[in-house]
Amino acid sequence: MEASTEERATLYWDPLVRITHWVIAATILLNGLVTEEGSQIHVWVGYTAFSLLALRLVWGGFGPEEARFSAFPPNLAKAKQHVSDLFAGRHKAHKSHNPLGALMVYALWGALLVVTVSGIAMHGSPFAPVKDHAELAAPSVVMASYSHDGEEYEEEYGEEGEEDGENEILEEVHEAAATLLFILAGLHIGGVAVESWASRRNLVRSMTVGAKRSQNT
Amino acid sequence: MKRQPQTKVRSLVILLIIQSMAAAFFMGDVIADLSFEGLDAHVVFEAVVAVALVIGVAFGVREMRRTLERTQRSEAALSVARGALADLMEQRFEEWTLTPAEREIALLALKGFDINEMSALRDVAAGTVRAQLSRLYRKSGVSNRTELLSLFVDDLLDAPIVETPGEFKAARPPTPLS
Repeated sequence: MEASTEERATLYWDPLVRITHWVIAATILLNGLVTEEGSQIHVWVGYTAFSLLALRLVWGGFGPEEARFSAFPPNLAKAKQHVSDLFAGRHKAHKSHNPLGALMVYALWGALLVVTVSGIAMHGSPFAPVKDHAELAAPSVVMASYSHDGEEYEEEYGEEGEEDGENEILEEVHEAAATLLFILAGLHIGGVAVESWASRRNLVRSMTVGAKRSQNT
Repeated sequence: MKRQPQTKVRSLVILLIIQSMAAAFFMGDVIADLSFEGLDAHVVFEAVVAVALVIGVAFGVREMRRTLERTQRSEAALSVARGALADLMEQRFEEWTLTPAEREIALLALKGFDINEMSALRDVAAGTVRAQLSRLYRKSGVSNRTELLSLFVDDLLDAPIVETPGEFKAARPPTPLS
């Protein structure tokens, strides 16, 4: 019975961690693969991702022990130790993220922060109408109505204007960070698989149902 | 009974998420309005709403953490109590010099199974169970099942009932918690 209590403690992720994790994962998939870039839905999904990330970061300061940053400080030396332990077949149980996973968490948060902040900076208010690239470049009514049938205007007029130059940089940053985010997410899934195998615990389970409790009862 | 705090926590999380989203949307709008249109009554109103939302999130986070801690505490207390009861039973069974079969009968009796159920569970005749029960009663010095049960309940109620986990731990050091 004591063993199960201990195990429960090691596997416990609180509901806020779990729900923000999966909703953020869904927003990343949605905006990366489904929604149209720059569309209203894309902006709202992006805002949602940003707000959940902010909530999780607040939780990292004030939440329960396992969710707090202090439970998984970024530590390169310990991460290296963890890797060599993995190769040696040793495994230590961790109450929060393992040291290598902790680095991944910060990398994912960093990339997501860059993606969302650059996106918000590009678009501005979530209630602002979607800006047409061509409209920005050539603010005449004729052009604006014209621009709906193609993206050529973007290419032709996109480079003009100060504001557009700034947006160009933001767009580059936004896209590069988004690509990085997808690469990191892929590595993250691989990491979870490896760690689940090494620790013989189903980590996906602890992130979905929280505790192993339902297996005992 | 066990579901209730979990449901509360889950609703709190959903509320917090909606609040954070609203806060982020409003904040984004306020900042954009401020940089494009400057300060006016509309923007000030929106800013107040946004700040109120952020404060609401802060309170929600605090409440959520408290609820989580309370749930964890009561779970811990329950597990300590379970451990205490198990230890107590072990100790008494030892004192009464029960045979393994009598121990099992004692456990089933305490759990409230009747003689027929016990004989079915243990795959022995009802007469055997009856004989084992009466030996158990004689060894423990009781005359029926209720008295047997009260021996344990009495001992448990005698001890100070959990108020703070610290106090309880001091009373029962051998159970290490997490």
